[in-house]
Amino acid sequence: MKEEAVLFGKTKSLVGILTDPAINNGRGFSPAVILLNPGIVHRVAPGRIYVKIARALAATGFVVLRFDFSGIGDSGVRRDHLPFEKSAVQEAQEAMDWLNAARGIQHFILMGGCSGARIALETACSDPRVVGAVLMNFVLAETDEENANPERKNRAAGYYYWNFALFDPRSWGKLLTGRANYRNLIRVLRAQAKSKFTSARTTSREATQFQSQLCQLAGRKVHLTFVCSQGDPCFDDLQEAGGNELKRLCALSRMTLKVIPRSDHTFSSLSDQERLLEVILDQLGSMARFIRKPASLPEELATVRLA
Amino acid sequence: MNPAERVVPFYFGAPDKRLFGCYHEPALESFRRCAVLICQPMGHEYVNCHRALRQLAARLCDAGFPVLRFDYYGCGDSSGSAEESRIPQWLQDTSTAISEVKRRTGLAQICLVGLRLGGTLAMIAATEQGDLESLILWDPVVSGKNYLAALLYRQKEALRFRHKPNSGWKSTTAIEVLGFVLPPPLCAELERIHLLPIGRKPANNVLLMQTDQVAGDALMSHLKQTEAQVEFQCLEAPQIWLPTEDGSLLVPGQVLQSLTSWISRTHA
Repeated sequence: MKEEAVLFGKTKSLVGILTDPAINNGRGFSPAVILLNPGIVHRVAPGRIYVKIARALAATGFVVLRFDFSGIGDSGVRRDHLPFEKSAVQEAQEAMDWLNAARGIQHFILMGGCSGARIALETACSDPRVVGAVLMNFVLAETDEENANPERKNRAAGYYYWNFALFDPRSWGKLLTGRANYRNLIRVLRAQAKSKFTSARTTSREATQFQSQLCQLAGRKVHLTFVCSQGDPCFDDLQEAGGNELKRLCALSRMTLKVIPRSDHTFSSLSDQERLLEVILDQLGSMARFIRKPASLPEELATVRLA
Repeated sequence: MNPAERVVPFYFGAPDKRLFGCYHEPALESFRRCAVLICQPMGHEYVNCHRALRQLAARLCDAGFPVLRFDYYGCGDSSGSAEESRIPQWLQDTSTAISEVKRRTGLAQICLVGLRLGGTLAMIAATEQGDLESLILWDPVVSGKNYLAALLYRQKEALRFRHKPNSGWKSTTAIEVLGFVLPPPLCAELERIHLLPIGRKPANNVLLMQTDQVAGDALMSHLKQTEAQVEFQCLEAPQIWLPTEDGSLLVPGQVLQSLTSWISRTHA
């Protein structure tokens, strides 16, 4: 395994770390893996999990690039005022261009956590070179308006009440001595009761668009793996937005949904990280087996990569 | 970021212990006669502070200082794993980084800036070097024992709001703090670290920047007993190394401005 610091992009201001396998171990036509920033955290990621993922994948023969979008980590700031959702997709494509030029790789698996998962999905939809994606704790909506959604807030608070506060003597102490936030508690319980008895939910615009993206990618045979932490409120959002379409595609093995039990949004324990790595290695091993040989690989590159 | 700033990511150091560095090169016409080396914290504090330290490097570069940020062995983008983390190795890494920034810039005057454990390592490394011009200690860890206790408390608090790992998880003797492993030798070394017994002056000029007045008093009194020119600044600013509720990364503009002004004044 060899790590190299690289600068790429239109203005050569995107900073990345390229991890190459030590030896060619038969993954001659494997796609490269590109790791996208988890939120605004730089390319190392919480718990240094991106470094661990990159090294583990390189040990199995994948070329891996983890880099910072402009304005995040070490990369420079853009001057064109392009919104992040657009610039990030463009920069993920620039990463593919660079890997193609530097390593002759034509197919890619995108991987990202949190908003990085969202960017991976958007990029997969707009670039045919993407043949697979691993989306960790996928965040459906990124806008402040959506994040302020009271239903989402109630769900997150409900998760906390049922899974932690209920078993915490300190929380009971607060409840019984008048120090709890009773208004919040009642609001959450009322919202949960209401949702249990509401049979027909309206499908949001985001959910409709999300399901359409899933169908589009399944039609292109792009394999998506959603990796969700059991303890992350985003998991409920994903299931709700994906609805029956996500269930149908998973049942047909066109997509995969993996849940890491007892885990949280950033995989903040070493045991969570180990299980995440196992899932990723397993999924990428399966994906790589189904990637077709590129028809137009230059002869000299084909010779090198087949050697 | 200053459009004139050039950021060069690269690896340096021994082939079996390669360190990642990010060199910020100022415009030629504003190049000062002192280079700055930024020593980062460790573990989750490293992740939480990365954005602020990157911004500090950009500001210093804008003021004409060439700056090198680097990751210790087993941390960030450097080679090695967290299980191999050791204090003597990190001190060696700091020394290697000082040589690297001198080699890159051709400058002899070096200013070390260290945040949290990075400050601790910077002060020890500076004392060992004995010829550094200036040193900035930003909320440094004074007592490793207290620091370790605080880390363990933080992990315990975090576990209140998340599920306990499965019983099937193979437990090791290593301690875990917010997704980072602290191997037993590192814990033992941390417990032995204390800045107050260091009697020699770490650098000619020292700035102690604290966001907590009480925590800085003892170190300030101690530093004044050395021959260094010491300045103490206490600013009301967030403790950026702590995890935030919404996962945001904090950048304390006032602190960064003060640090930049102090270095600019000291190396005018």
